[in-house]
Amino acid sequence: MATPLIQIDSLVKQYTRDTQVLTVLDKLSLSVDEGDFVALMGPSGSGKTTLLNLIAGIDRPTSGRILVGDAEVSKMSEAALAKWRSGNVGFIFQLYNLVPVLTAYENVELPLLLTSLNRARRKKQVELALSVVGLADRMDHYPRQLSGGQEQRVAIARASATDPKLLVADEPTGDLDAKSGEEILILMERLNAEFKKTIVMVTHDPKAASRAHRLVHLDKGVLKEDMHAEKGKAVGMAAALSASAT
Amino acid sequence: MKFFPYVFKSLFRKKTRSLLTLGSILLPLFVVCLFGTLIRTLDRPPSGAGMYRIVVRHKVSLSNWIPESYRARIQQLGGIEEMSVWCWFGGKYVDYTPKNFFARFGVEPEKLLKVFDEAKIVEGSAADWVNDRSGAMVGTELVKRYGWKLGQKVVLQGDIYPVNLELTIRAIFDAPAGSNAALFFNWAYVEEALPQVKGRIGTFYIRAKDAEAVARLPKQIDEMFDNTDAPTKTETEKEFQNGFVQMLGNVKLMLNGISTAIVFVILLIAANTMAMAARERVSEIAVLRTLGFQKSTILAMILGESLLLALLGGLLGLGLFALGFGGFKAALMNTPMGGFAAGMKIYPSVLAVGFGISVFIGLFAGVVPAVGAARRSITDGLRRVG
Repeated sequence: MATPLIQIDSLVKQYTRDTQVLTVLDKLSLSVDEGDFVALMGPSGSGKTTLLNLIAGIDRPTSGRILVGDAEVSKMSEAALAKWRSGNVGFIFQLYNLVPVLTAYENVELPLLLTSLNRARRKKQVELALSVVGLADRMDHYPRQLSGGQEQRVAIARASATDPKLLVADEPTGDLDAKSGEEILILMERLNAEFKKTIVMVTHDPKAASRAHRLVHLDKGVLKEDMHAEKGKAVGMAAALSASAT
Repeated sequence: MKFFPYVFKSLFRKKTRSLLTLGSILLPLFVVCLFGTLIRTLDRPPSGAGMYRIVVRHKVSLSNWIPESYRARIQQLGGIEEMSVWCWFGGKYVDYTPKNFFARFGVEPEKLLKVFDEAKIVEGSAADWVNDRSGAMVGTELVKRYGWKLGQKVVLQGDIYPVNLELTIRAIFDAPAGSNAALFFNWAYVEEALPQVKGRIGTFYIRAKDAEAVARLPKQIDEMFDNTDAPTKTETEKEFQNGFVQMLGNVKLMLNGISTAIVFVILLIAANTMAMAARERVSEIAVLRTLGFQKSTILAMILGESLLLALLGGLLGLGLFALGFGGFKAALMNTPMGGFAAGMKIYPSVLAVGFGISVFIGLFAGVVPAVGAARRSITDGLRRVG
């Protein structure tokens, strides 16, 4: 039986706008096993990104409990969370979010600067991460010299440079053409299968969701569907979910 | 140090803006250092042979005469090594353009050489000058400027004094701590040509015997002539030279005021640059924090960037000042402030203040954007992505 990496109990996230309280996640409970590949789907405003941010420890819940590995993320201080994130979570954004003035190498090296690794060890780690994403020959290129797909691969290398157990991705193919999106999904599948990364991915794209082993559908902050896919059936299931969401 | 490449590259991500900001720090800092040097020169304590020199002039202004007969009464006060007549001749050499302007004084050659005994005659001799009533002693700076040689005739057309002086260069001097852009001739030449001038002089330059005399004589001299038709104002050489600068008004207050305003303006410009830089990078900073960068690290990186910008501008400004100082001093030497300018030098304390101003600007310009960037929530920052 697989060990759960993420355990979420009765998670509530509320925002206050003026006097109005907006409940984005309402008593949500979820468990994600180590090595799983989960797609979070749902209409806009359903709380997908908020859930992702809470899992990654970049936002704080109003109430409830989030446990990632041994760390109770929901109770950690901001400084402790930052330290935890640097070693345990890799974040992949829709718009890649590479630092434009840094080369691919320097971008991937950024999270490693927070570790105690010396320059030689960092170099080795960066080269490894870039070779995994197939961009070892582009390490001296700046983001503006790369295509969107390549930029996203550098972002994936950056997210995995510190070898975190958990990768969270927010619409990683949302800004890419079909071919580049496909390449990114193949890469994520590889990270999951070959490097045993647990991946939680927010997506609107049924095709992207079909790569996941599990589809979680949120609506108005509540878990609506939670399906474990079988290879080959995933596309149809994701499409069905997507259709029900719109 | 690990983050230095990021900080450095971030500084120049908008090259034009960063270079303009550097310029806006560099040039004002150059001016601040220049003003600092002027203030420091005004404040410098008298030193060398000059600390024993005293100047006696009319209390009202330099354009008023005092009787030459005061000499005997002043000498009775004791403590005087030597004193010489020192009269501004003015006049015209070639034309009235600034390039042909230099100090021209009628003096008593033998006595002057004793009053200014630190000045060296590098060509010709004191005797040649003393023995030639129409002889002149010129400074090395003028020799360099006009290519003058010993024995050469120099004609000064009088304006204050209606007489044209045809002078022969008999000696060339080099005053290590004074202006070398000056011409001295025997005042007796003018007195002979204009008998009505005889007995009336501009100033006396006195070489006192010791510090006690320097402290005592100004008060005694001025008291002695207080109730006469020509009351005097007696000052040390430094006070006298500073007086030319002070003619512009309360120069120290003015320079301090302008310098403070300049520093404030640089601060605003640098702060604006840093605020823009931080605002443009809200999402990038959020990404860095997502990667695990602590708030304190973000704060240090933005402050470091601001500090680096200000230090680069500051150091370039100080370098420009060090390079341009010689030219500025040379230009000032050819004005009535030449005596004051001769005492100017690059003071390490002025450079240190300039450096300190750079650090101050760097820290204060960066602190608000840095704190703002570090405090913004990550999710707010990421929402700016799109």
